[in-house]
Amino acid sequence: MNEIICPLCGKPNPPDRDVCQYCEAPLKSSGFIASPEDEDLFNQIPPPYGEGSESSDQPVQPPSASSLEEAIPDWLKQTEASFLEPSPSESDTPTHDQISEQIDSLLNVPAAPAEEEIPAVDDEWLASLLSEAGVGELAQEIQPEESQAGKSALEEEGVSEQFIAGLPEEELSLPLEPEKPDWLTNLEASSTIKLEGGIQPSEQGLKEVQFEEAAEEKGPEKVEIPAWVGRTSFGESPTLPKEPETPIEPAEIPGWLEALRPPEGEKVSPTAPVEDTSAADIVTAGPLVGLRGVISAHPSAIQARKPPTYSIKLRVTEEQRAQLEMMEELLAEEQKPKTLPSKRAISYRHILRLVVAVVLILPIIWTVIFRSERAQDPQPASIPSVVDFTQQIQKLPTGAPVLLAFDYEPGFSGELNGAISTLLSQLFAKSAYLTLVTTSPSGPALAESLIRTVSASGATGSATYTNYTDLGYIPGGTIGLLGLATSPRALFPYSLEGIDVWARAPLNTILSIADFSAVILITHDPETARSWIEQIGPVIQAVGRPLLMITSTQAEPLIRPYYEAVPSQVQGIVAGLAAGLSYAGMTGGQQASGLMDAFSAGITISILIILIGSIVSLVFMLRATNKKKENQE
Amino acid sequence: MLEQLSQLADPIGAIIGFILTIMVFSYIIGDNFLFRLAVSIFVGVASGYAAVLILYNVLWNQVLVPIWKIVSTGNAGGLLSYVIRVVPAVILGIWMMTKLSPRLARWGTPVLAFITGVGAATVIAGAVRGTIFPQVGASFNVLNIQTAPSELSGLVGWFINGLIVLAGTVATMIYFQFRLRSRGENVPAQRAVILDYLSTAGQGFIMVTLGVLFAGVYIATLSALIDRIGYLWNVIIRFF
Repeated sequence: MNEIICPLCGKPNPPDRDVCQYCEAPLKSSGFIASPEDEDLFNQIPPPYGEGSESSDQPVQPPSASSLEEAIPDWLKQTEASFLEPSPSESDTPTHDQISEQIDSLLNVPAAPAEEEIPAVDDEWLASLLSEAGVGELAQEIQPEESQAGKSALEEEGVSEQFIAGLPEEELSLPLEPEKPDWLTNLEASSTIKLEGGIQPSEQGLKEVQFEEAAEEKGPEKVEIPAWVGRTSFGESPTLPKEPETPIEPAEIPGWLEALRPPEGEKVSPTAPVEDTSAADIVTAGPLVGLRGVISAHPSAIQARKPPTYSIKLRVTEEQRAQLEMMEELLAEEQKPKTLPSKRAISYRHILRLVVAVVLILPIIWTVIFRSERAQDPQPASIPSVVDFTQQIQKLPTGAPVLLAFDYEPGFSGELNGAISTLLSQLFAKSAYLTLVTTSPSGPALAESLIRTVSASGATGSATYTNYTDLGYIPGGTIGLLGLATSPRALFPYSLEGIDVWARAPLNTILSIADFSAVILITHDPETARSWIEQIGPVIQAVGRPLLMITSTQAEPLIRPYYEAVPSQVQGIVAGLAAGLSYAGMTGGQQASGLMDAFSAGITISILIILIGSIVSLVFMLRATNKKKENQE
Repeated sequence: MLEQLSQLADPIGAIIGFILTIMVFSYIIGDNFLFRLAVSIFVGVASGYAAVLILYNVLWNQVLVPIWKIVSTGNAGGLLSYVIRVVPAVILGIWMMTKLSPRLARWGTPVLAFITGVGAATVIAGAVRGTIFPQVGASFNVLNIQTAPSELSGLVGWFINGLIVLAGTVATMIYFQFRLRSRGENVPAQRAVILDYLSTAGQGFIMVTLGVLFAGVYIATLSALIDRIGYLWNVIIRFF
């Protein structure tokens, strides 16, 4: 039964299959066993050129199987015989005619031309055939003739008989004089050094020739015989015709050629490099099956086979496993939420805070409830800045436009509202036209509330004071102040109520901030005060207009240098609750409110608390120091 | 009706103020829900009021109302001058709003750079003109005899005050002088001995100044406490 060998995987397949049952590769187009159609197509192939030319006028006859087999080289037959299963049409042993032809070729070896390759024949197999055919004796008779021919050739080349006698019998049967290569002949002809009788083969050269001969006997596929060696034979040694020895003028060798010339005594090997394919792999599948040292057409890279399965289980050692468990424990500890230490509901700090609050608040409550008047208010003329402030307000003409800036936070109302109320009462009395601005968003509401409160308190009689306008919020901080100083009309085209106040009196005469009779700033922030001093102050002081301030106690230390400077940049300051009471005393609006008693009590208690706390802290620190010294001792 | 509402607003505001004040005072016993609620109410009300004020006072009264009035009066010249003055600011303001989007925030950087540059120039010019030069001149005139009072008692006080101011100014400035003088090889560089003494004196002046500032803050806070206690008592005696 014929089987189709798959060209890819090399496995046998039934002949009725078109593709390989293992790898699905197409079989009919590239398999070893051709289909009947392919055989017909193969039969239509014209014969080789030589044969075809001889019978060009005759009808083309399909080549017989024997002629095709003759066209196949012997080495390919041997290779196929060793790897393919024998087909019924082929026999394991050669036919009788082939054996006869091989025997004849062996017998005619000495007479064969040098260019012809000697067919490789298995020696044992051939010896058995020769013994069966009775030609062994004839073959043995050939050997002395070959030895004799070799000896005569050596004698002609001038090899001494002693040297020849020293050689073994097998070596004498080898060609002793190889044919000179062309390049050596040309070189010898152009050289001044003449070699008599040609190149004398050295003993080593003889051994190399012997080795090559022996390698050739082992197998034609393992050793490549160079062409010049193949041309060497015993019968061709005196091939060159003898020329009369005429003196030849020595040729001049160029320097570069002399440099290329190998030194004397060095072995010159004209043989081509021999490729050792003994260690190469033998192709086991595909059209080149059985060949050694060629690139296999078997696409091993696309072999349709199941990929190997690798274990996904991580292989770890016991030490690594222990380290992993330790790391997991550490991570688990880190991920656990740490419970904060529980706070006690009532701690030492809570008690201390409550004690301080009660000690501070109780006296203030007492003074407020009973409106104590034990502490005297500050004397009206005891604070120079308040005196200057009051005088500047009193200097204002009746109905003068005054710019009033409410730039404080509602939290400072308790400290500043007293002084502001006094100021508004004084301005109401002078019927000053108030222009309200602010850089704090809460400023307009505070201004409106205070004006209404002061009006309702009777400072203006029964009527509500309306001689004012609220321009509202100044955006941009310091840049807005600069804009107010240079062009207030551009900054505030309309008032907070949407009225064009610049078109009517008295603001129709105002073109810049210097046209106001006075600028009064109410602020708790030293930075805001500094911005007003820096941006507004130079503009109004250039025309002699005063810059007055009602400020918090916390801002006074930073504003006072501007007041005490010579010339002063701030013409009057009312700072804090005490100054506000002093200002009220100067204007005659002081009322018994008990604020000064509460203020004095609060200040006194605060001083006591600070002193007691400092003493207690000092005692604890000394005790700790002593304990530390005792521990050290 | 409005008058009745305004009359009711005062007592309602007083009661709300009373409750909020008590809630803030509850911080005496520690941080609690009432205190946090009161603080949150203050922050929310202040933010809402500021937003309304800016929208009404700035965007409406200073940008839109002028345009409407100029257009309604048909003053073409006024409209042109107003547009030249206001439109660039409006464009910059709208451009600045790209900072609201994280993706477009970098496009608002030029506007921010413009505002920052103008603001810095304004502050520096104002500081030089309004603080540095006048204060340096005032320091020169601290002991100027032409500014001395005519009375002998005032003259002594004027001299002592001027001397303290001068010493404090010099000592404080020396405290911020960190230059060391080399005294040779293998000798550590150090400040002159007199400078060390003056620096220590300057440190003392700085401590006194900081103490005064803290005292001012404390007095302001104490004034607010007295005002709030007085307010609570007034509400109590008003309604009870």
